[in-house]
Amino acid sequence: MQAAHHETHDMGDMLSHEGHIHEQMIDGKELAVDPQRFDLFISGIETDTVAVVSVQGMVCDFCARGIEKAFGQDNRVSKIDVDLASGKVLLAYPVAADIDAADIEQKILNNGLNTSAIQIVSQ
Amino acid sequence: MKTIFIILCLLVATPLMARPISYVGGHTLMANSGYQSDVIYWHYTPSINYSVGLDYQRDKISDESFSSARFTYLINRKNTAKSQRNLYLKTGIGLSDTDNHFYALAGDWETRRVFAGFSATQTSGIGYEMFEQTVKVGIAPYLGDYGDFHTWLMVETKKNDLDDERITYPVLRFFKGGALMEIGYHKKTDWNVHLMYRF
Repeated sequence: MQAAHHETHDMGDMLSHEGHIHEQMIDGKELAVDPQRFDLFISGIETDTVAVVSVQGMVCDFCARGIEKAFGQDNRVSKIDVDLASGKVLLAYPVAADIDAADIEQKILNNGLNTSAIQIVSQ
Repeated sequence: MKTIFIILCLLVATPLMARPISYVGGHTLMANSGYQSDVIYWHYTPSINYSVGLDYQRDKISDESFSSARFTYLINRKNTAKSQRNLYLKTGIGLSDTDNHFYALAGDWETRRVFAGFSATQTSGIGYEMFEQTVKVGIAPYLGDYGDFHTWLMVETKKNDLDDERITYPVLRFFKGGALMEIGYHKKTDWNVHLMYRF
C-alpha cells in the first residue's frame, strides 16, 4: 500500500483569500482540485476547513459509494464531495482540529483504495 | 512472469460477478440467472482482504438445488490514480453436502473507460465436474460522474469442458448508486441476467 503525502501546513499558511479559493495557495503549492467544484462545495459552509484527499483506485461508483458512506457516518464531517474524474474527495470539517489524516487514510483503505495526498484548506 | 503466465492459462469461470469484496462493513446481494444455474448470493466484507457469504442455487445441469458457504480472498490489489487491478481466490462449499464445491481464480483491471476481467472455475460434486474459463472486456461509451447512470458495452467469452465449445456474446452493464444490472445473450445459452445491490 502506498503511503500518503500529507500537506500538513499550518492552517494560516494554507489560507486562500477569504471567501474564495484559488488554484494556487499562498505557499505556492497547487490546489489539487477544480476551483469551480471547490467553490460549489464550500457554498454555505464558508467557515469550514476542507481536506482535499487524492485517492488512488477510485474508478467506479461502487468505490465512491463506500467512501461517502464511511465519511457520512463520521460526525466530524459536515459535507462530502466525491469527484470520480479527478480522483478527489472533499471533506468539510467545522472544527479544523478534528481533521485526522491517519483516520482519513484508514477510511479510504477500508474501501480498498489508497490515499496519495491530503491537502488542508482553510477559508 | 511465470505466475502471470499460469494465471492467464487458467482463464476460467462462473459468471464474472463484479466486486466480490465490498468496503469494510458492506453487504452485497446478487442474483444471477443463466443457462447453467440460477443463484442468489449474499456476502459481507469484514475486512478489505476477504468476504464471507451464503448462496442458494439451482443447478440446471444436474437439476439439483443446494446452499453453499462462500469465501473470497483478495490475493492482490493495485491501485493507481486512474486504475484498479484485483486478483481474487473464490471458494464455495455445500452446506448439506460438502462434495458440492467450487474454487476459482478471478481477476479484473479497470479504469473509468475500460474493463478487462477473467475467471477460471472448477466445479465439483453436483453430479458432474466442470472447469470453465471466462474472459470479459468492456468499454464505457461515456464517463459519468459519481451518482450518474453508468453504462458499459461488454463482450464475454466462455468455454467449459462439458460443452467443449467457446461461446462469445455481448453484455450490457448498467449501474447507478448501489445497484448494478448485467444482461447478456447468446443464441445457444439464451439470456444471462446478473443483478447486484450493495449496501
